[in-house]
Amino acid sequence: MEKPFPHPLWPLCLLWLTSAWLPAAEVDFNRDIRPILSDKCFACHGPDERTREAELRLDTYEGATEGGEFAIPIVPGKPDESEVMARIHATDPDDLMPPPESHKKLTAREKDLLKRWIAEGAAYDPPWAYVPPARHPVPEVTVKDWPVNWIDRFLLANLEREKLSPSPDADAVTLVRRLHFDLLGLPPTPRETDAFVQAAENNPQAAVDREVARLLASPHFGERMAIYWLDLVRYADTVGYHGDQDHNISPYRDYVIDAFNANLPFDQFSREQLAGDLLPGSTVGQKVASGYNRLLQTTHEGGAQPKEYLAIYQADRVRNVSAVWMGATVGCAQCHDHKYDPYTAKDFYSLAAFFADIDEDQHFKVGSNTLPTKRPPEMLLLAPEDEAELAALKEELAAAGDKDEKKRLQAKVAAVEKRGRRTMITVAKPPREVRVLPRGNWLDDTGAIVQPAYPHFLAGDDPGSGEPGEGSRLTRLDLANWLTDPVDGTGGLTARVFANRLWALFFGTGIARDLGDFGGQGEAPVHPGLLDNLAVEFHESGWDVKHLVKLMVTSRAYRQSSLAPPEMRERDPHNQLVARQSRFRLPAEMMRDNALAIAGLLVNEHGGKSVKPYQPAGYYRHLNFPPRKYAADTGAGQWRRGVYVHWQRQFLHPMLRAFDAPTREECTAERPRSNTPVAAMVLLNDPTFLEAARVFAERIMREGAAGEGDRLDFAYRHAVSRPPDGDERRIMGELLAFARKDFQARPEAAKALVSTGQAPVPADLDPVEHAAWTTAARAILNLAETFTRN
Amino acid sequence: MTMPGAGTQNMSIHRSEFVLKSQSSIEINRRAFLGQAGIGFGSAALLSMLGGRALGAGIEASPKGLPGIPHHTPKVKRVIFLCMAGGPSHLETFDHKPKLDELHGQPMPKSFTAGQPIAQLQGQKLKVQGTLTKFRNHGTCGQPVSDFLPYTAKMIDDLCVVKSMVTEQINHDPAHTFMNTGTAISGRPSMGAWVNYGLGSESEDLPGFVVLTSVGGRNPQPIAARQWAAGFLPSRHQGVEFNSAGDPVHYVGNPPGVSRRHQDALVRTIRQLDRRRDALVDDPEIRTRIAAYEMAFRMQASVPELTDVSNEPRHILDMYGAKPGDGSYASNCLLARRLAEKGVRFIQLYHRGWDHHGGLEKYMGICCGLTDKPTWALLTDLKQRGMLEDTLLVWGGEFGRTPMYQGKGGPGRDHHIKGFSMWMAGGGIKPGISYGATDELGYNAVQDVVHVRDFHATMLHLLGIDHHRFAVKYQGLDMRLTGVEPAHAVKGVLA
Repeated sequence: MEKPFPHPLWPLCLLWLTSAWLPAAEVDFNRDIRPILSDKCFACHGPDERTREAELRLDTYEGATEGGEFAIPIVPGKPDESEVMARIHATDPDDLMPPPESHKKLTAREKDLLKRWIAEGAAYDPPWAYVPPARHPVPEVTVKDWPVNWIDRFLLANLEREKLSPSPDADAVTLVRRLHFDLLGLPPTPRETDAFVQAAENNPQAAVDREVARLLASPHFGERMAIYWLDLVRYADTVGYHGDQDHNISPYRDYVIDAFNANLPFDQFSREQLAGDLLPGSTVGQKVASGYNRLLQTTHEGGAQPKEYLAIYQADRVRNVSAVWMGATVGCAQCHDHKYDPYTAKDFYSLAAFFADIDEDQHFKVGSNTLPTKRPPEMLLLAPEDEAELAALKEELAAAGDKDEKKRLQAKVAAVEKRGRRTMITVAKPPREVRVLPRGNWLDDTGAIVQPAYPHFLAGDDPGSGEPGEGSRLTRLDLANWLTDPVDGTGGLTARVFANRLWALFFGTGIARDLGDFGGQGEAPVHPGLLDNLAVEFHESGWDVKHLVKLMVTSRAYRQSSLAPPEMRERDPHNQLVARQSRFRLPAEMMRDNALAIAGLLVNEHGGKSVKPYQPAGYYRHLNFPPRKYAADTGAGQWRRGVYVHWQRQFLHPMLRAFDAPTREECTAERPRSNTPVAAMVLLNDPTFLEAARVFAERIMREGAAGEGDRLDFAYRHAVSRPPDGDERRIMGELLAFARKDFQARPEAAKALVSTGQAPVPADLDPVEHAAWTTAARAILNLAETFTRN
Repeated sequence: MTMPGAGTQNMSIHRSEFVLKSQSSIEINRRAFLGQAGIGFGSAALLSMLGGRALGAGIEASPKGLPGIPHHTPKVKRVIFLCMAGGPSHLETFDHKPKLDELHGQPMPKSFTAGQPIAQLQGQKLKVQGTLTKFRNHGTCGQPVSDFLPYTAKMIDDLCVVKSMVTEQINHDPAHTFMNTGTAISGRPSMGAWVNYGLGSESEDLPGFVVLTSVGGRNPQPIAARQWAAGFLPSRHQGVEFNSAGDPVHYVGNPPGVSRRHQDALVRTIRQLDRRRDALVDDPEIRTRIAAYEMAFRMQASVPELTDVSNEPRHILDMYGAKPGDGSYASNCLLARRLAEKGVRFIQLYHRGWDHHGGLEKYMGICCGLTDKPTWALLTDLKQRGMLEDTLLVWGGEFGRTPMYQGKGGPGRDHHIKGFSMWMAGGGIKPGISYGATDELGYNAVQDVVHVRDFHATMLHLLGIDHHRFAVKYQGLDMRLTGVEPAHAVKGVLA
């Protein structure tokens, strides 16, 4: 069990408080200065030529030191001679920068940083994200026996510089829960917990290594990772716009799960999604993967203009591909050059042109108000035996002469096909013409025609913008290769973006905090060397996702306790120094998985159609074309993992919404973590959680021996992996006594409660006792501890 | 019988003195923390109290609304937005164009339509459709109102009709998204979320942003939860739908067989156990959670109480034309008043049925029949309770309708975005005027054009917020409800 603070290892200097973690002595351009210039100056003195004032740009050394119409803005080494300093301190509002009407103000600290930076020579470093990562030497540390691997040495060196110590290791129970939630999204069973605790007593590191190896081999690992990936690529079961009809795509979700389980190298994973259809001899799986290009929101609303929506679709794709692989907000360059980063509007449309070959406009004609709607092209996936049967039937059909015979066979074909699943795929056709749309206006055909090309400042010697008619047009496959090629492409950036996201999954916060924006307006990484080395390790290992995960979760840093005294929370609220582990409520899907697993209700089937949990009646009443009736799954589908739940973009299941699952209309790199009364009502009253409680109660009564104490032991060990202490026994005992007495007076109420949901109602249990234990189980399935990864 | 947890707390449900204590001796005054927190509060709120930045999108958030807001003295405390979803015809409500009758049946002059976006009439012959109703001047202000709206006509002296609205989106779904969030890109906060984020909620046991829907008229357009989403703002600011059937709010009812007393015992036990855990691990998130469970339990009582209108006097029910529990627009108008009384900051009603591509006369009759009197009743009721003066009441759709004929089942009109009408009434609004004008065919707004973002700026201004200074950093940008293009509060409508 975790112990309360203070722990003797915490140094007294923690009591020295700062409102924000301040950098070490030397001013670093990317960390300290670029965010100021970017936020306060670049909108008028930055990359966008159209809005540049006084011909002055401050985003380049040349621009800043040569100046525009007036005095030299920045004189390196001489703040007193730099016009910038005069302007930011000006008292005349006409001279003051940023101008008052911008509603931007520099703080005293920011002014001081600018002064120091100019005094130190005003060095401009290129944007950190676009400098390819290189291996840094692993730093030396004073405390030699703490680090387990090089990740630890990077972190510890920094902590030692800050005169801080890492936290002590978490206890074994906390650690095994953390590993199971992080890697599988499921709680450990009491048996797994015991085995780990015992092994950890002898050799904690060996126990962690063994557990991690075991968990990485579990098929649940892919399900857990898919939750995150599906947020990024905005996977959902419905079209999103207007009628929000279902579309066929669930095999893509299964592909993602399988890919993580099989540890498909991340570069190949990327290629298959962006261009699986273009791979030579592409397999069925690769075609399914190409469904990535079809995940965006679509519409066939009456009156929708295809030309307008093709423009909307291409912008959607550029936003997504740049967010997922580049951690960039290229979407900002749709109407004008990017205000903060070097992307031009031409870059935006040149990226869009990579996707101009996707066959996607059929649905403007054939899209139907049916469930599912029509979104060709699709492919049909059949079980192998159905595949064989279908082939045979088709042969028969070709041979059949008789009309009735044909009809009979056609019906059989339809029956077999119905057993399969369809999924949207990418099919290439001759590419549409793509133009730069002035100010993003799709009605304006005056912009230049563009070819597929990489962003100009990243393209290197081969910008790839072959002239029209040259026959050298770049393809989606080229783009995928470029995104994952660390030498001739931007693979280093991709590796950094993904490594940072993995880090956030296992440590709670990214090394660079903005998981979705590595640009000038994002925060530079706190440990740039560590992030670089993780990125290099990632691609040099052959884009081995499991290897990178293993490296992170077998580090000493990962094992730290998540306890944080107020001083530490104040000093480092987002845990960027990693002087502790993080604690947070489980993601929405895992809230469900956890309750079902504790109850013993979870059905561990793999893949398949999306499933529909209980949902409040009438929740879809605002949907139309067609009006929607929601039919909750009966049988096994009701108790499957959250990753398989039907994702209705316009009306996401209220339980998922309450726990911050995104609608997946756009890329989500980081979910918020809220803590609201609505979420409390879900855990208290949603039939899924009630059913879990009453089935858990039945399990407690059957498997937890006869005495109340033993039963409470059983319940606690399943839910929070430890037995209750004396106080907890007393408190739960009081609740049980109350509930028993209350239900004895109202036996019909007891029966009603223990009949919630579809699971069989046990005839052999006394409903009053069962209901009392259901109340106890509800308490346990509402505890912060039960649903907190710490 | 003793209630579990009853004897062990200094955490009584005494409203104003409730103080959370933890071993780390952080004390959080509940009124400061929870009082105006809207429907929830999370790590964002707490971190900001501790001087940190919110998780996730990098947003400062405090439970009372933002420091420094309001920027100036507000004219109104709340907004009630009556959204006539589908797009009511401005040409058959407020914008009388006799010239249409003159040109009825003739080709629409190309000078109006060339190069303009068109929805369902793409590729069709465009001809002028004359006015499908009669207009009369009403009130002491003498404003024209169509015969479809006899009750609106009675209150015309209280309204400021804006006849020069323009929007940018011509299809329903994106047009609603544009009206509610200022952009057609998904994932941005809606105006109700913005307002609650900026000002906080005044209600302790109700959400700060409530959405009510009704149908009637033509086949209703779908409406997405995106329209009341919090986007990148903390999720506690998202609109909460109240339902007319089943639980008024999802999961607000106790489970089968569980009495309120039983649920109370359960919630107390959870609180006791969570507090013990907090004493051990010192986690601010647990303290937030304890408060969230408290509020959830209170909502379980307050929401059903509020939504049960059967205790309203007969003459009030009759004034609205509301039957308790019928889910009608009339009942929703009555609920809106009750929500306003309880301090709910932003109340949005949708009536879905205004998409009159054809059969316009018939369907206008139905829609106006369902909405005209209740709207009048709401304004009148607010007025007689002295609440109109600190309420902004808004009526309008996501766009207007074409001067051109469309004929699916009798004459109708297509979607139109270049000029349409909305009205505002209440605190800070100049009553009994019209503002702006369209051309002689009601096609283009030509005088004092009011863009959707100007409307947003005006609404924020009345709430005491300068839209320029109301920004949130997201994906590196200063996001505003009013976006990046110039927007201004419309001075001409302000009293």
